[in-house]
Amino acid sequence: MPLDIGSILIQLFSGLSRAMMLFLLSSGLSLIFGVMNILNFAHATLWLFGGYLTYTMFQVCTNLFGDNGLLLVPAIIIATGIMFALGWLIEKFLIRRMYSRELPEQLLLTFALILIFSDLLKLIWGVQNKRIFIPIEPLEVLDAYINPYFFVVIASGFGVGAGLWWFLHRTRYGKIVRAAVFSREMVSALGIRIPTIYAGVFALGVAIAAFSAGVFLPIMPIGLGIDMDLIVQCFAVVVIGGFGSILGTFVASLIVGIVYSFSILIWPGGALAIIFLILVTVLIWRPWGLFGTEMRY
Amino acid sequence: MSCSSDRRNGFFSKLYRRTGLSGPVFVLLGLAFLFVPLLPGDFPTIVGVEILILGLFALSFNLIYGYMGQISFGHAAFFGLGAYATALLFRASQTATGEIGYIDFFLSLLIAMPVSAIGALIVGFFCVRLTGIYFALLSLAFGELLFYIVFSWYGFTGGDDGIQGLMPPPFFRDPDNYYYFTLAVVAVAGLLLWRITNSPFGYTLKMLRDNQRRAAFLGINVRLAMLMNFVVAGAFAGVAGALWGPFQRSVAPVLLGWMESGIPVFMTLIGGADFFAGPIVGSVIYTALNSYVTRYTVYWPLTIGLIILVIVLFFPGGILSIIDTRIRSYRNRQEAKEDLPVPSSEKMGSSQ
Repeated sequence: MPLDIGSILIQLFSGLSRAMMLFLLSSGLSLIFGVMNILNFAHATLWLFGGYLTYTMFQVCTNLFGDNGLLLVPAIIIATGIMFALGWLIEKFLIRRMYSRELPEQLLLTFALILIFSDLLKLIWGVQNKRIFIPIEPLEVLDAYINPYFFVVIASGFGVGAGLWWFLHRTRYGKIVRAAVFSREMVSALGIRIPTIYAGVFALGVAIAAFSAGVFLPIMPIGLGIDMDLIVQCFAVVVIGGFGSILGTFVASLIVGIVYSFSILIWPGGALAIIFLILVTVLIWRPWGLFGTEMRY
Repeated sequence: MSCSSDRRNGFFSKLYRRTGLSGPVFVLLGLAFLFVPLLPGDFPTIVGVEILILGLFALSFNLIYGYMGQISFGHAAFFGLGAYATALLFRASQTATGEIGYIDFFLSLLIAMPVSAIGALIVGFFCVRLTGIYFALLSLAFGELLFYIVFSWYGFTGGDDGIQGLMPPPFFRDPDNYYYFTLAVVAVAGLLLWRITNSPFGYTLKMLRDNQRRAAFLGINVRLAMLMNFVVAGAFAGVAGALWGPFQRSVAPVLLGWMESGIPVFMTLIGGADFFAGPIVGSVIYTALNSYVTRYTVYWPLTIGLIILVIVLFFPGGILSIIDTRIRSYRNRQEAKEDLPVPSSEKMGSSQ
């Protein structure tokens, strides 16, 4: 493998965009875990669901309004909205019954959701991989050709990250969510409906995941089974960064995304082994993660 | 009768208290396992072998979950390690024609236990420092690490192709013979596990589940006990894995993956983690459903997903706990009847 500046640049961009996807996915996971103490195994499966929905919405839009790459925007918005509603329903009817249960039972419920949803996806969309082609001229940067869409992806990652931070730290609702992490009794004593907050947080996490799946559709084909690989990588990101820390999740996604895309150059089959080696090291050295606070473990 | 219903001392009552199976169920299950090969066709026998192997796998998992109170999401690593150790030695001792002698066959099965135990010792050394969700995630991470190593090390493990052509010696090629061989191995392993869970060590584990800090106050070396249990569980998972290769005639890296680790978790929770026999009952239900439902529909994950959903939502203790509650309420009613004549007998006592 020639290690010229061009191929390094390509790996850097693909690593960065991968990092953004992992970040969008894990920030929802981390948010849900931080607020409700539920580790949602089905998060990546819902991500995949969002991706398929965006695909279908895009098909519908192009059939209605002709071929135009910009139609991806309404497709993503509709799919994200639908997934928000689905997330709300899942919380309201299933996750809500699990708050007082033991950890394994919670995991088992979300595991059951994986099985159900991935089979439903197979039932609805079949086993073929889906992707969207958007014709964009590649950009020439330092004798390497880079798809400008990478910039869209990276910008959307930064945008959602900043938006989430702003929501949690600067708005009234974000403050309620953070207060609910510390003391749900006190918050509910102040007359705030905790169940609604929980449902909203869960739906928000699912919606962010669906959004990222839609944004990534033009550069990454989606297919059955990739949710399984993604969810364990998301666990890696969330644990390396520290549960409940958006900054930690962001840094950990950058580490995982970039390490992954460069180790693919060196040892193609073992890129994920290296990720899990990092994860094992972090869990042994600092189980609460790089940016987490040492609490219960 | 003043003693509680729990303290009956008949053989079956003791058996029930220790295994979670009421006497008739135990006898029926045992007989059923003995006579499975008599059913028409090879299919039930093959399903039976699968039930036994995965049942042993789930039993070993329940040492960590039901007894020690930690959830391991990387238990398949030791199942897979055992399977690969057996398969590699098996391949090494196969002659050019692909035949293997009986001694070599048994040797390659035997190696799985120490290999898995050593693997569990290394992984467990780090895992037992954590509890709860971090224990689960670290075991998951180690399992995935091993999975990707096996997956990408083409020269040694065959990579994602796995190892094929594991033809056992002629006697064990017949499903019935292999079934009885598996039954014997699993029965011995099950008895050993049963002995372990009812030893002082087993009670130590239960104490660790209930309250680690109090156990430490009582002078128990918490980490050492957890590590020992982790190694024992890994070793028995290795035995199950060893049986898997010659049964399927091949091994693949999936055996170490986290989806495989989910199987004993499902089985244990379906059967009931609080009972020794829970994982076996779960294995019977899960594997039999898996084998028979997949014959009629390709949407097996949907089916098992819905079943698990119902069990988690409405029967959180597993199948055996439903039966257990029934039996308890029945006994309590019986006891109430037995209690009725007590006042009159007291009267008689006072009149004498």
